[in-house]
Formats: sequence, structure tokens, C-alpha cells
Amino acid sequence: MSFLRLENLVKEFVGRGGEGMVRAVDHITVDIEKGEFVTLLGPSGCGKTTTLRLIAGFEFPTDGRIILDGDVINQQPPNQRDMAMVFQSYAIFPHLNVFENIAYGLKIQRLPANVIKEKVQRVLELTELTGLENRPPNALSGGQQQRVALARALVMEPKVLLMDEPLSNLDAKLREVMRTEIRRIQQTLGITSVYVTHDQIEAMTLSDRVVVMNQGRIEQIGTPPEIYRHPRTAFVADFIGTTNFVDGTVTAVDGDLVTVDVLGQSLVAPAPPRDLSVGQTVKLVLRPEAIELVETGGQYEGVVHWSSYMGSLVEYEIEVAGQRLLVTDSDPRHTIVYPKNHTIGVRMIDECLYILPE
Amino acid sequence: MKPTTQINTQPATSRTFWQEIARRVNEFRLLAQDNILMTGLLIVSIFVFLFIILPLFEVIVQGFFVPNIGTNPDEAGKFSLEYFARYIDPVYRTHAWNVVRDTLTMGVLTATFGTLFGFIFAYTVIRCNIPFPRLFHVITLLPTISPPFAIAVAAILLFGRNGLVTHNWLGIEFLPGVNDIYGLDGLVFVQVITFFSVPYLMLRAMLERFDPAMEEAALSMGASKFHIFRTITLPMLTPGLAGSFLLLFVESLADLGNPLLISGNTTVLSAEIFLAINGEYNQQKGAALSLVLLIPTLTLFIFQNYWVKRRSYISVTGKPTGGQITVKEPWIRWSFIGVSALILTLVLGLYSSIVVGSLTKLWGIDNSFSMKYFNIVFNRGLESIIDTTFLSAVATPIAGLIGILVAVMTIRKNFSGKAALDFFSNLGGAVPGTILGIGYIIVFIQAPLWGVWLVYAALALYFSSVAATNTAGRAVVVALGTAIGYFLTRLPGEADTGALMTFGNWQYALAAVLFVAALLAWFGTSAEKRRLTVTPILIMALFLVLHNISGAWIRAIFIWSRSLPGTQLPKIVSSVSDQIGVFLQPTFTLMGFTFLTAGIFTLPQIGPKMRMWVAAILLSVSAALTLVGEPLTLIGTSYIIIFAYAVRSLPASVRAGVAALQQIDPSIEEASASLGANAQYTFRRITLPLVLPAFIAGLIFSFARHMTSLSAIIFLSTPKWRILTVEILSAVEQGGMSLAAAYSLVLIVIVLIAIGLTYFILGRTLGNSGQNIDFNV
Repeated sequence: MSFLRLENLVKEFVGRGGEGMVRAVDHITVDIEKGEFVTLLGPSGCGKTTTLRLIAGFEFPTDGRIILDGDVINQQPPNQRDMAMVFQSYAIFPHLNVFENIAYGLKIQRLPANVIKEKVQRVLELTELTGLENRPPNALSGGQQQRVALARALVMEPKVLLMDEPLSNLDAKLREVMRTEIRRIQQTLGITSVYVTHDQIEAMTLSDRVVVMNQGRIEQIGTPPEIYRHPRTAFVADFIGTTNFVDGTVTAVDGDLVTVDVLGQSLVAPAPPRDLSVGQTVKLVLRPEAIELVETGGQYEGVVHWSSYMGSLVEYEIEVAGQRLLVTDSDPRHTIVYPKNHTIGVRMIDECLYILPE
Repeated sequence: MKPTTQINTQPATSRTFWQEIARRVNEFRLLAQDNILMTGLLIVSIFVFLFIILPLFEVIVQGFFVPNIGTNPDEAGKFSLEYFARYIDPVYRTHAWNVVRDTLTMGVLTATFGTLFGFIFAYTVIRCNIPFPRLFHVITLLPTISPPFAIAVAAILLFGRNGLVTHNWLGIEFLPGVNDIYGLDGLVFVQVITFFSVPYLMLRAMLERFDPAMEEAALSMGASKFHIFRTITLPMLTPGLAGSFLLLFVESLADLGNPLLISGNTTVLSAEIFLAINGEYNQQKGAALSLVLLIPTLTLFIFQNYWVKRRSYISVTGKPTGGQITVKEPWIRWSFIGVSALILTLVLGLYSSIVVGSLTKLWGIDNSFSMKYFNIVFNRGLESIIDTTFLSAVATPIAGLIGILVAVMTIRKNFSGKAALDFFSNLGGAVPGTILGIGYIIVFIQAPLWGVWLVYAALALYFSSVAATNTAGRAVVVALGTAIGYFLTRLPGEADTGALMTFGNWQYALAAVLFVAALLAWFGTSAEKRRLTVTPILIMALFLVLHNISGAWIRAIFIWSRSLPGTQLPKIVSSVSDQIGVFLQPTFTLMGFTFLTAGIFTLPQIGPKMRMWVAAILLSVSAALTLVGEPLTLIGTSYIIIFAYAVRSLPASVRAGVAALQQIDPSIEEASASLGANAQYTFRRITLPLVLPAFIAGLIFSFARHMTSLSAIIFLSTPKWRILTVEILSAVEQGGMSLAAAYSLVLIVIVLIAIGLTYFILGRTLGNSGQNIDFNV
């Protein structure tokens, strides 16, 4: 059995205006292993924060079970759960200094003063806050406050570390730094972590596995490459990265390979895990980087509709057989940017073609 | 602030009736996981039930029945529509309807002009870039800390028959029939000045939080200033204007002090009710008229709460927006400033007349300087000054506790009945105090036994739920404890007062029983927790002993005070002896309730083996105390005055609590819970330190409300507990306007000292952070 298991979890709230019930979390099952870093990813309102609050104990599930280390903890209040949470707003106690903030939970456990001091020192080093012990929170920068919030949770050595969009209040540069920090610390301590974000890059770079949620349900659970390369649903393909969807008609099925008629050309793609028959319509995912622009030898003829030069790469919108495709060209040997209405050859990279399983 | 939970728009699932019930029961089960919170909810509910719902209910009922006291025994208790029939009866009809018409006219006029003045003032302070905005602000607030008829007294001093302006400067000779200050017009004038700070504060808060970007956006689209005001500013402020109109209307109808002083030949309902009780001693008439007054008040109150508040576009709970656009057109700016300055001068003039009037020998006739009125105030009136200040001060923490509990319940917790709690806790401060006062007379002269039993049952049942884990154990505790307690009260004693009331020995006996309970608790508790279990029970036992013997001490102090020299010292010392009695000699029922509540906190610490037995003993002692004699006969005691004060200021106290709580992000408390702190620890270490300064700063307005309240208290003051506002009224009735002015001035100064002291102490203990406290209501 997994370390932390969410089993058929349901959470309903009384709807706005007191009428009826609204289901924020709808039969979710997730298994999280010890030491694993799992991210709940989805657009706002998808139920990811509610799920995290259910795990933390700030809300109690309407139905289903939360099992931690073999114990059902459904209605256990948050202070009795061996977990610690890092909040989006940091929620640092404004009337306590850095040391007192971090030592807060240890004092509740009535540990001897020297043990508290030692533990706090260790976590201060880990989060690179040494020397700031006596600072009041309002004398800290955003990044430092974030570190205090993290240190305060880490010092508890909880069974599970919960993080609710902890980086969303930081500026882009700092966010990148803290992202690496969090991953480093989590790896050092091997602490089981559940992380909530709507930022796919955070999810991809931090997690061992990503749980993509939409409308209270799970769309897909998988490692970052799985989620990106083999999205199970159109929602996942669309939410993670940018995607072109094109319809195709199956013309032949040959073991692991399927021949599909796409925009008037035959392409061969890996078969999805379901039965396909000839003549069936399927949806293909064409990532912008899986399309090549070539002077000669293109499968299609495309017309540049719009281009945008970004330095390391060029983004194009190319019209192919009446459909506009987003293409990124990052080949450093391409020194010119094709102008509007330029006709160019287009190639799909075979290995990157992907048929949606649903 | 981001909402803590995100909710998608899934189709709502339908639920059956029983599932709905189960959900609601579960809510309370979750709430009850936190013992303190649940106890808090229980205390608040009992308070609201006993001192708001029950009195109002009894007043309504009383209007339809001939009272038991002071009437022909054959008629007593019979159903009667006599006083409602007067609205049809040709003999009484004209007068009855005249009173209703005048009352409503007064309400509408006061509300209209008050809102207008309030708006002009708020607009001037926020938008017109005036010098000394702080001064404008503070002077506007003066009426909120003045006794309810200070303005009326001042108006009579300035514009009355011997008024400085009317008589001395303009030389008007008032002959019978000449339109003088007394009457509906004078009353409305006085009420507008007294109450316009209410709409001023509301509209000011709205204007402060009005995002100037909206008006700038309209401006950038080419709209003219007037067009913007008509299409953007005004519609956005309409809910605020409507809200303050309704609020003022309710306040005006509830006002008793001003109508008694200045309404002349006009009679309004609140005064008519007062005279029915205090002049005719006719409870039924007073109650019937109360219902007539309650109908418009309640309608508008509900309308204000549930319609206007929902339509508000601007949330007044947020922080003020940074930039404010100021009016540039000089003619608009100067007309607003001009009108405001005029009103300001009037207010200042009125208050100066109070100061000058109180120091004048015989106003209008012999205008020489004299301290004689202050001599009277500090001799004859000394007791009322001490008593009122003391009772107001004692009521403040009680109001504060109830207020913060209601605030926590309503903004941080979710449970069925939350809306009702919010509604009723506000209602007690909004209904005319006269009605509440009559309700207190009816209920607390001889409290209805069902009410006492209901409160006892609620406490005892929750008590039993912490006393034992299984239903059988709980039933045993409740049945055994109640039966023994009830049996004790039925033991033969003197006359019909019950045994406990007369024989001090019984209190020693109960104390001894509690001592046994303490002993059991000692054996039943682990060593490190004994401090939490044995001590409270011993304190209860000690208190019973103290309760019995302190009577003699208090009497001794009182007798000693008589032998002291001078006129003031004996009064001060005897007041102190009464004040000691407030703490050491509570009524038995209040003691019973307190013991039960203390028991609820103590029991969970005791081991499961002994807990049930300790619980049974505690319950039987509490039951005996609760049910002995005539429970909850509070009329004539200081407690009913204290509770009445707390009820009247409850909306202010709740507001103080809400404002304080909204300063802290809920996730700060969640962070504490997530780090392992229970609700109690979180409250003590996180919530309280963060909330306290703002809360105390807000509570000072509750204290001011206590000091200045009249309408409910006027029925409750006794020769032993004399109330300043009541004293002022009788001074006026004896024609001593200057004496009334002197009393009013003393009252205002006491409130100002209290405010100054609070901010001084808060500033000292908090250093810089104290400056962040919002001085506004």
C-alpha cells in the first residue's frame, strides 16, 4: 500500500446563495509513495487546492478516504496530522521573529530549548537563512519570507510536506531560484511532498509525478515526460505546452503503427492503446517543435501567415491545407525569418506524431 | 485576498431531507471537536436568548394580555386587545394615530437631513482637500460619545425660551403659542445633529474605498464631471445612502432622551411607551405600544440588513484605496466646505454652550460665573458617576467577549443558524431600548421557569457530553445531577425562598461536596494535569464560602463608610462596598451557570474513570444553585444593568471583533494548526496578540455606548445603582438645564479620559504598531 492514499475522495460545498451542493472534488484516487514529489496541476477552480486542504485537514471529505501510512485520517483535525503546509500567502506570524516563527511548532511539542535551537539552526542552514534569526518578518524580502515559510514547515520533519502555490507571489527570476531550492531541499531530505500549482513549468521541473486535474476530476497521472509526450486527453495536451490538434482518418493498421490520412497526406504514427479500425477518425497531437520547415522535401506546402522572432527560436503560424499550425523553429542554422505569405515546405517528424487515445 | 477554496461550476447535486439534516448535524459535530469554540457558541446563544430574544418575545406577548401584577385579580392574565383597539376606537383614535404620524414624520425627516448632512461632511473630508481633516473628523464624532440628550440641552440653552441666541441676542419674547424650540421641528433639529455622525462614518468609509480609477476611466472616455457623478458616483453610493437612511430612521425612532426633553406638545411612540410604564405603570399599554413601534423598526432593520447590504458594490471591509481624487471645481469644493463649516460651527456652538451653561449661575438671567452646578454634580451626583463608570467598565469585557465570539463564529466558522446569530446579536442594539427595557422588567422580575430550564438543559446536556463518552453515562450524569440538585432546592427552608437562600450553612455544605469532587478529581487526574482540574473545583468551593461570608464584610465596610468625614468619602467607600458585592455576591442562578461552564472546561482533563462522578457532583451543585428560589430574578441587581449595557453595545463590540479579525489572513491561523497547535493554542499565541490592539481600540466605543445609554437602562436603575443619564434626565425635569449640562460635561469627559487612556496604554505597549490602529468606528 502506498504511503499516502486518496481514495475516491469527494468534497461538496454548499453552493453560492445556499442553494444546492457544488462538487469541488469528484472521486479522486491518487497513490503517493514515500519520498515522492507529486504536483497537483490544473487551471483555477479545478479542485487542486481543495484536494490539498482535504489532505491537510482544513476541510473534511464528503466521501472517500484519506489514508496516511495505513491509518484513515478523514476527520482528524489538522493539528493532529503529521503534516506541515506552506501557504501561498506565506502566513508568517507577523508578531514573531524568524527564529520564533520556525520554532513555533517545536515549542508546541514541548521539546527542550537546546534541541529546538539545534533543529532550527540546521533548517536555517538548509534554507540559507542563517544570521536572520532575530529579524522581524516585515524586515525580510519576499524570497526570504518564502524561505521562512518553508523552513517552518521543514523543521517539523513532517511525514508529508504540503505546498499551496508557494511561488506564485514571487517575481519570475526569484521563482526560478526558489524552484531549484525546493527541489534540492526535498531531494536532500527525501520528504514526501504534495505541491499545488497552475504553472506547468513548476510542475514539470519539480515533480516526480504530476496529477493533472480538471473540473474536480483527474485527467491524467504521470511523470512529466509522460504527461507531455503522451497526454491521455485533449485537455492535458492543451493545458501542458502548446499544441496543434489535427483530425486524421485511419487508412491502415499494422501492429504498432497506424497509417493516418492527415490534411491530405499519409503519415505513419505509433498506435494508441486502443483498437482502431480503418476509416475511423482520430485526433492527432502535433507539438509545434515536432513540425519542421524545409526548403525542399516537405510533405506539405505551407504559407507563412504570421511570424514572431524570439531570439533563440522563431514562432510561425503556417497555413497548411486550410488549417493553421503553430510551428517553432529553433534550428540555429536557419538565419532568416520567413516573411508573411512566403511558401515553404512542411515536414512532420514521424517519431513525434501522437494519436490521442481518447 | 484569494478565496481559500476554489469551487468549480459542476451541476449541483440534489440531496434528500435526511442527508441535509445529517450534514447539519455533522457541522456541529465538527464544531464540537473544539470544546472551547462549542462552549463559546453555547454561551453566546444563551446570552442572546436570555437578553434579546426572550425579552422581545415577552413584550410582544404582554401586549395582548392583562398583566398579573397590579391589576384586578379577576382580569389578570386574560387575553385583551384593549390597546390595539384604540387605533379604531373614536375616543382614542385621533391621538393614537397622531402619535404614529408624528413618530414616522420625525423618522423620515431626521433620516433625510441626517443622511444629507452626513454625505456632505464625508464628501468634504474625503474629496475636498480641506485643511485639518482630522479636526473635522473628531468634532463629528463628539455626539457619539455624548449622552443622548446633550444636544437637546444645548439647543435649549441656545435657542430655548431663555436661549442665548433667541432671547438675549434676537430678543424674541416667547408667548404661549409662539413657535419655539420645543416641538417636532426642534426635535428633528436635535436628532439630526445627534445622529448625523452615523451616515458620515458609513459614507466616509465608502468614499475612502471608492476606487478613483473608475471615475478616471469615465473621465478618460469623455464624460463630464456632473455626468460622472450622476452615472457612476451616485449609483455606487446609493446602497450606502439608502443604508444610512434606514439606519438613521431606526435610530431616530429608538431615541428616547431627545423626545422627552424637547418634543413639547408632540408625543412620539418611544416617549409614550416610557410614560405608559413610568407614569401610568401600565405594562400592557407599554407593551402594546412597543409592538406598534417594533413593526416599522424591525421591517426597516431587516430591509437594511438583507436588501441594502447585498446591493452594495463597495465592500467596506477592505483597506482604503491609496489615491483619492479631489474636487477641482472651486464652486463645488467651496459650497461643500461652506455647508460643512456651517454645521461644524453649529456643533461647536452647541458644545460650547454646554460648557458655558454648566458654569453659569442662572442661564439667561444671571450670566455670572458659578461652580455651583459642579458642586451638586460632585456631591449629590457622585454616586451615579461612580456607579455608571463602574458598571460600564464591567460590562465592557463582557460585551467584548460576546462580541469577539460572535465575530469569530460569523466570519470564520460555518454552521446552521449562523445567520440567525448574526441577526439577533445586532437586533439587541437596534431595537428601541425602551422596548428592551420593558422586556427586561417583564422577564427578570420573575423569570419564566421554562426559560430557566431551557438554558439549564442546554448547558447540562453539553456538560454531559464532555462528562461521559457513551449515551448511558451521559444520561446518568444528567438525571442524577439534576435530580439531586432539584431535591436540594426543595429541602424545607424559610418561607418560600428555599433552603439555600436562608441558611448560609447550605453553602458550606455545597462547598464541602465540591471539596469531595476536587478530591476525586485529584485521584482521577494525572499528576501534571491536576493544576487544571483540582484548582478550578477548589476555587468554586472557595467561592461558595466567600459568597456566604463576604456579605458580612461588605456590610461592615458600608457601616464604616457612614462614619467617615466629609460628604464625598462616605459615598465613595460605600460605592466600593457595593462594587465588591458585584464580584462576590452574584445571584445563585448566575453562579450555577458559571459553575457549569467552568465544569465543561475542567472535565476533559480528568481521567475517564473518575470523570463521570466528578461530573455528577458538579452538575448537582450547579443545578441546586441554578434552580433555587426564584431563578434569574435580576431586576434591582447590578447584573441586569451590566447585561443590558452589553446587549446595547453588542453591535459595536461585534464590529470591533470583525474589524480586528479581518486584519489577519485566515491562513495564518491555518498555518498554526498545520504546525500542530490546537484551536486554544492558536487563539492564545497567534490570534489574540494580533487582534487585541485593534479589538480593544474598537471596544472603547462599546464603553462609550454604555456610558451614554439611557432608553433601556432607565427602567433598570435603582437607588443603589444610580445611572448618570437617568440623573441628567431628572435634572432636566426639575428645570435645571445648567445642572444637566454639568452632568453631561462630566460624562463626556469620563469617556474622553477612557479613550485617551486606552490609546495611551496601547501606544505604550505596542510602540510603532499601535499607530496602525484605525481610530474610526
